[in-house]
Amino acid sequence: MDTAPPRITETEAAAAPPQIKVDGLTKLYGDFTAVNDLSFAVRPGEVIGLVGPNGAGKTTTLRCLAGIIPPTRGRVFIGGFDLARQPIEAKRKLAFFSDEPRLFEYLTVNQHLAFVARIYGVAGCQDIARELLVELEIADKADKLPGELSRGMKQKLAIACGLLHAPSVIFFDEPLTGLDPLGIRRMKDSILKRARDGAAILISSHLLHLLEEICSHVLILKNGRKVIDGTLAEVRERFSEQAGSNLEEVFFRATGETKAEP
Amino acid sequence: MIAGALAYYQYHSWRNRMSARIRRLRQPKYLSGAIVGGLYLYFYLFQGFGLRHRGGVARPAMPGLSGGPDLTLTLAALIFMTILLLAWIFPHSRTALAFTEAEVSFLFPAPISRKSLLHFKLLKSQISILFSALLITIIRHRWAGGPFIPRMIGFWAGLSVLNLHLLGSSFAVTMLMDRGISTWRRRLFIFGAIAIAAVGFYFWVRHSLPPLPDPEERHGFGWAFRYIGLIFSTGPLSYVLYPFRLVVAPYVASTYAQFFAAIGPALAMIGLHYIWVMRSNVAFEEASVEFSRKIADLRTAARSGQGRALRPPKKAVRAPFVLRPTGQPAIALFWKNLISTGQYVTFRVWLILIPVAVSVGMSLQTQSGRGPGLGMAVMLLVAVLLAISLFSGPHLLRNDLRQDLPVADVLKMFPMRGWQVVLGEVLAPAAVLAALQWLLLLLGAIMCPSQINHAAVPLGMRVCAALSAAAVLPCVDFLALLIPNAAALYFPAWIQLGKDGPRGFETMGQQLILAVGQWLALLLGMIPAGIAFGLFFFAGSYVHWPLLGLMSGAAGAAIVLAVEAALGVKWLGRSFERFDLSGELPQ
Repeated sequence: MDTAPPRITETEAAAAPPQIKVDGLTKLYGDFTAVNDLSFAVRPGEVIGLVGPNGAGKTTTLRCLAGIIPPTRGRVFIGGFDLARQPIEAKRKLAFFSDEPRLFEYLTVNQHLAFVARIYGVAGCQDIARELLVELEIADKADKLPGELSRGMKQKLAIACGLLHAPSVIFFDEPLTGLDPLGIRRMKDSILKRARDGAAILISSHLLHLLEEICSHVLILKNGRKVIDGTLAEVRERFSEQAGSNLEEVFFRATGETKAEP
Repeated sequence: MIAGALAYYQYHSWRNRMSARIRRLRQPKYLSGAIVGGLYLYFYLFQGFGLRHRGGVARPAMPGLSGGPDLTLTLAALIFMTILLLAWIFPHSRTALAFTEAEVSFLFPAPISRKSLLHFKLLKSQISILFSALLITIIRHRWAGGPFIPRMIGFWAGLSVLNLHLLGSSFAVTMLMDRGISTWRRRLFIFGAIAIAAVGFYFWVRHSLPPLPDPEERHGFGWAFRYIGLIFSTGPLSYVLYPFRLVVAPYVASTYAQFFAAIGPALAMIGLHYIWVMRSNVAFEEASVEFSRKIADLRTAARSGQGRALRPPKKAVRAPFVLRPTGQPAIALFWKNLISTGQYVTFRVWLILIPVAVSVGMSLQTQSGRGPGLGMAVMLLVAVLLAISLFSGPHLLRNDLRQDLPVADVLKMFPMRGWQVVLGEVLAPAAVLAALQWLLLLLGAIMCPSQINHAAVPLGMRVCAALSAAAVLPCVDFLALLIPNAAALYFPAWIQLGKDGPRGFETMGQQLILAVGQWLALLLGMIPAGIAFGLFFFAGSYVHWPLLGLMSGAAGAAIVLAVEAALGVKWLGRSFERFDLSGELPQ
């Protein structure tokens, strides 16, 4: 596991303005309320785990924050820019990784990177792209089409595309799905590395023990409403019967779900 | 018990599918489509019955060919034999029955015998065979008349034998593969057998072959069909065709008596094929699992927009030009969509095509001498192709929002204004269409005769007309392409997004409404351009007739069309920004 010292200290992070600021976010699908009056903030270097039962509104929240779907009410600020009023500036600062890598079947790995570089206007992209491909261990697949890549490699390509413009805000939706143990380890290292570099990261996942390893904060949702958010220690303190409870126990207590007896 | 479970599954799948379709008729967009589609189907398919009842155009009961019913039977048997022969030549992989992934997951591990699985598969295929037989008979009846029920049963019998034979032959091919006989060895053997049989039959019957008709009797293709029919009706070749005649005889029967005489042997052929299929002891499960997974993957990819087609690209396509990392981001979408068009749109291809068109045109021009015949023919062809490109091009070239809307979530994340997305998306098909049209114009300008109907058409005039058309056509293309893209944004449920489009006759009705709406919108958009052309033409002609008039008219029309296109891009861009993915597209 990556244990390099952080480039941004906790004090600096606490003093810095939030990179993600959500204020009263509400999303309705017809009569159904998917997300209800959600507010929270994520500062540089913080990794916040978004957890909740199925249908809690995690993916809808992430899609609203990434500018994919418009919120019904509320405001979202990315890197200080209002996503609704300054979408271009806000989107330049963010990257969103869905659980299924979204790639263009007819573009090769290199063509994907060239395409994304132009979209985000990344000058000197070739060096950055080369470094990313080496870091993600897909440099030898540069001329391959997505159809010729395994699922894990496709995910790596999606990550390379997302990180090419050095986003300061990163959203992950179930980033560890389908990865092998080594892939999970590398993904965790990669997330922590970006956080140390000052990125604000929001991760939605059901793998609570993994979130516990990488998240500094946690936000629990249920039925579209925030149950609690705070540092792991704060959340544990509020929802644990005893010291040293893990996130799984906290999750069951916070959401009122029943844990299956062993 | 197993049969009951499978029948339950089949019945409820069908019922749920139909009730889902009926439920969606509550939405006006599906209801209106259903009404239009239903009316279209009624007028296209069923009006034929009404016409006859009202004493409309009477059609012959059995049109056949002029050689009579026996010739029709022989030719139908010949076609059927050819199709079955191809079933032995083409297959190159093991038998793979098309089960859905859910069927594979539930049925393959279940305690169901191979025989039951085959029965299930055969019964399932009978549903589509019956539907096809009904539809084809209705269409045929609409145009050719004849007894309805015998035709339908005849068509069903033919399709059933075909279905069983394809299955049986695929089992046999798999068995050959298992014994180490490669695809090419098998094909070589089949072609060799055909060649030996052909030579053998020739030497057997060469003295009794009917003489070729006199040259003056050889008009059209009718004589050739009659001659082939004659050959296959006499001598040993008639024995070769005999089993195939048995299968197609009920379909070509023109009276009930003929049908009842023919249906027995056809049913016997179905029975023999059934026994053959059921007794073939070939494992199909492994290949079927692989096949089902492949189909499911491709469908999922197509639904999510990640698959361009049910056949994804096999090899990478060279980029049409080097994409610099900085500059207008819309060009990135243009570049991406040009790559998606395939390898035929690189600048290198066009650099080859243009000199080829020029040299072919010049050489034809030289060969045609002073006569305008060939030049006029090429001009006519160019005009027809230009018209086709204008009418069909925007429907055929879909590498724009219609291709990318299923990945609209990706597009939405890009730091781009809506108008930039729309511009980038529509540029690629517009550019491909314009390049094709310019090539045609070039050919037309070269081949245009210098005199048409005794009126001189000087070189300057030809060049001027081609340049004028070259200026106007890309603007028309762009405008024509904006309309289906607008429809994709406003009525995404009506448009075939990606390749896996919605089904049902209500969808057909929606397509009809869209097609009519699209041409009306384009005509409306062309009115201001037409007015501008007229005004500028008269103004230019006042100075120099007709060259300056033509060019200034074209320039005026092109400017108006370009302004309309710019406004369209701006408006559509705003629509894209407001486009709520949560409302329309499958998540």
